[in-house]
Amino acid sequence: MDELTREFLIESQEGLDRMERCLTELEEHPEGHELLAEIFRTVHTIKGTTGFLGFSRLESLAHAGENLLGLLRDGKLLANAGIISGLLSLLDILREILGQIESSGQEGESDDAAMIQRLHALQQNDAVTPDPSGGGPPQSPPKKRRARKPKAIAPLAEAQMAKPQEGIRAIEVYQSEPLVAQPRAMVNAAESTLRVDVGLLNRMMNLVGELVLTRNQILQTVSAAAGLAVLSRRLDMVTADLREAVMKARMQPVSHVFSKFPRMVRDLAQQLSKRVRLVMEGQETELDKSLLEAIKDPLTHSVRNAVDHGIELPHAREAAGKDAEGILKLRAYQEGSHVVIEVCDDGGGLKVERIRDKAIERKLITRERTAQLSERELMQLIFLPGFSTAEAITNVSGRGVGMDVVRTNVEKIGGRVEIDSRPGKGTTLRLRIPLTLAIVPALIVHSNGQSFAVPQGALSELVHLSPEQVAAQVERIEGAALYRLRGKLLPLVFLDALLKQYEQMEKPSGAYIAVLNAEGRRYGLVVDGLADPEEIVVKPLSSVLKRIGLFSGATVLGNGEMALILDPGAIAAQSNIGMALEDDAPQAQEANTAEVSTEYLLMQSAGEPAAVPLDSVLRIERIPRSKMERLNGMTVLRFADTLLPLNDKTGATAASPETEMTIVVCHDGERHVGVAVEQVLDVAPGDSLTEAGTHAATEDAVLLKDKVTSLVNLRKIPALPGARQLGEVRETWEADRVMGASA
Amino acid sequence: MMSSLMLQTAAQDEGIEMCSVRVGQTFYGIPVTRILEILGKTAKQPVPLAPIYIGGLVHYRGEVLTAISLRRLLDMPAHDASEDILVFEGADGYFGLLVDEVGEVMTVQPADFEGNPSTLDDRRKALFNGTYKLSNALLVVLDPQRLDPVRLAEAASS
Repeated sequence: MDELTREFLIESQEGLDRMERCLTELEEHPEGHELLAEIFRTVHTIKGTTGFLGFSRLESLAHAGENLLGLLRDGKLLANAGIISGLLSLLDILREILGQIESSGQEGESDDAAMIQRLHALQQNDAVTPDPSGGGPPQSPPKKRRARKPKAIAPLAEAQMAKPQEGIRAIEVYQSEPLVAQPRAMVNAAESTLRVDVGLLNRMMNLVGELVLTRNQILQTVSAAAGLAVLSRRLDMVTADLREAVMKARMQPVSHVFSKFPRMVRDLAQQLSKRVRLVMEGQETELDKSLLEAIKDPLTHSVRNAVDHGIELPHAREAAGKDAEGILKLRAYQEGSHVVIEVCDDGGGLKVERIRDKAIERKLITRERTAQLSERELMQLIFLPGFSTAEAITNVSGRGVGMDVVRTNVEKIGGRVEIDSRPGKGTTLRLRIPLTLAIVPALIVHSNGQSFAVPQGALSELVHLSPEQVAAQVERIEGAALYRLRGKLLPLVFLDALLKQYEQMEKPSGAYIAVLNAEGRRYGLVVDGLADPEEIVVKPLSSVLKRIGLFSGATVLGNGEMALILDPGAIAAQSNIGMALEDDAPQAQEANTAEVSTEYLLMQSAGEPAAVPLDSVLRIERIPRSKMERLNGMTVLRFADTLLPLNDKTGATAASPETEMTIVVCHDGERHVGVAVEQVLDVAPGDSLTEAGTHAATEDAVLLKDKVTSLVNLRKIPALPGARQLGEVRETWEADRVMGASA
Repeated sequence: MMSSLMLQTAAQDEGIEMCSVRVGQTFYGIPVTRILEILGKTAKQPVPLAPIYIGGLVHYRGEVLTAISLRRLLDMPAHDASEDILVFEGADGYFGLLVDEVGEVMTVQPADFEGNPSTLDDRRKALFNGTYKLSNALLVVLDPQRLDPVRLAEAASS
């Protein structure tokens, strides 16, 4: 295939995707002029180019479509359901032909007369009295066509043509963005973007990974030689920026995947005689291209499932006192280093009894075992391979492949799937996807003199045990070690024993427990020591080592040492850690309210003890003092392109800019603030103090370990000068200058 | 370019170039054309729970190599001193081979080749390709393909 044809194919396919989007929107806004113009442009471009390339089938079809669209665009005809269905069928045929050209270089043989005639007929269709609610029936009998894709989309066009009067208006598609502005934005995007070969991007990403590794090594080597420090910091910054830029280049908005859902949901709903309204949020959220590709199928599955199993038939919904029209919500947002995609329906919810019965019937679990499981654990059964509760195997779903595929695919890329359901209220499926695959933040742990990396995503907290505590607080039931973490038993896995590095279980010198959450299992991984967290570049393992099943890859650390990356989920499974029985969070909260006293993080700031409430702490960073910068009289810290206001009382005591500072990053409502301290001492429960004579609790002090400790008031950390304020400053400055010049 | 090519073919006519490596008391020969690179005493990272013949992980040009230990493969006690590493291309990407020491490159004559002796144990028969009779010693031929971890894993599981 020559370059020109290839270019044409890519362009046309993109155009048709846009057209599909616009058509489903057009149903909502039949007079959307911008939408019509966009669709017209697409078809017109295809017509123009095909004539030039000699694809006559495409040309005649596009021509017929263009005539109809011309009338619509000029307002001589108002788009109704019949016309939109007709145009969607045209779109399908055009896609099919493009597919054939791509695979064989030929248009293929088929008679398009019926389609062209249908489009002609639509031109005469009630041009005078447009009826937006009904939609005119197609004048020519629909020709039987072959399915284009093995997807469920195929039968819909026929279904529509057979009964165009009913249910066509069943779906309304809402989008959070202003609808009319979108096509124009897309045109601009096309102009300002560049197609880059993914292979090249992958190679760039690998190189950046190498650079990160080298930087890590240099940073560690250089800490001794002072002169190189400045240079190495610069290298650090350049590497971080470059990495970000390359990653950005690989990012695409999730709308690339979301955009096909309006049509899919519309078709599915018609096929199943359901009424579904699709609401999409956060389409601008960006994700790495390869990850986006990887979640396409799981997400499609989930949406299909939600329409098929989740949302009930209109009469059933009305009987349950709900609106006949079900709402399916797709929501994407970034949360830390993850992107969360939610598929949320307001349908009947998961029926736990039915799930249990089905699982027993399919011999996925024994009846005795189900009796021990909680409701939440029973819900997880839908992720088992071979599970499906659909009454009948429909075209849409119920082939027994589904949720297990969703889970496997998402976990394959380091993500997680969570399901939440309330009977009668609906189901929410949450896919948590890491922002990128290649570089992950990890905690380096030591076991028996060897380093291992634990992905930060699975880590919830760290507990240090002194030798006495190991002896006193690690309890055992028949060899199974447990630790009481805030009153709850946490199963322990000893890394050295797991890896058969040691015969004896206990160590003379204390231990660290890394509390991990993986695949709904919670356990403590006991290691000998901890090192700093590091951004690691994941290198794949050879198949022989993958077979061990506990390692997800390897990496090179800053000190040049290699470390295996532990797979928290696999360790849990191999150690027979069960699903966490209940959600831990609500229980922990209950425990807190029951006790009255709150936990505080005890720190040393300018030689004095200071504290912040533990629940406001997000993370703790260690940085050289020189990274703290001054802005308008306040201390700030730059993380990539975000600024963190700092509370810094250590200024007077810290001597050299090379001193390592500990920054406790806290959240104060929505904003993040940092507290600069010399070191973090402990976590302790504290009691509030009341001022003598009054009964008012002081806001600035707390009783910790029988000592009065000052509380850092996060609210008093000044906000960053807002953008508007900056603008004002600039204006006055400029005004001064103008005045100075005129004077 | 042309002349070096001709030199190579000329060398092949006369004999085969073998890189000799030593493990214990035995000298082994590996065809030089198969060797991608020889790394000196590079640090290696042990892999817990790995099959016994896995010598560890080695950092090689941004990749993490799985290194096969010839000693362990031959059921010999582990070597305390650091070992030399040869890099080969296998079915599953690059892999390394740990040997006690890399020796010199020598040219052997096809006429001096003989198959494995029938008295050799099965494990060695599966690994060795035959022997070249040198004037003062024997050079056991190793075929890197037989040392590929993918192949070794298959052999172990079957």
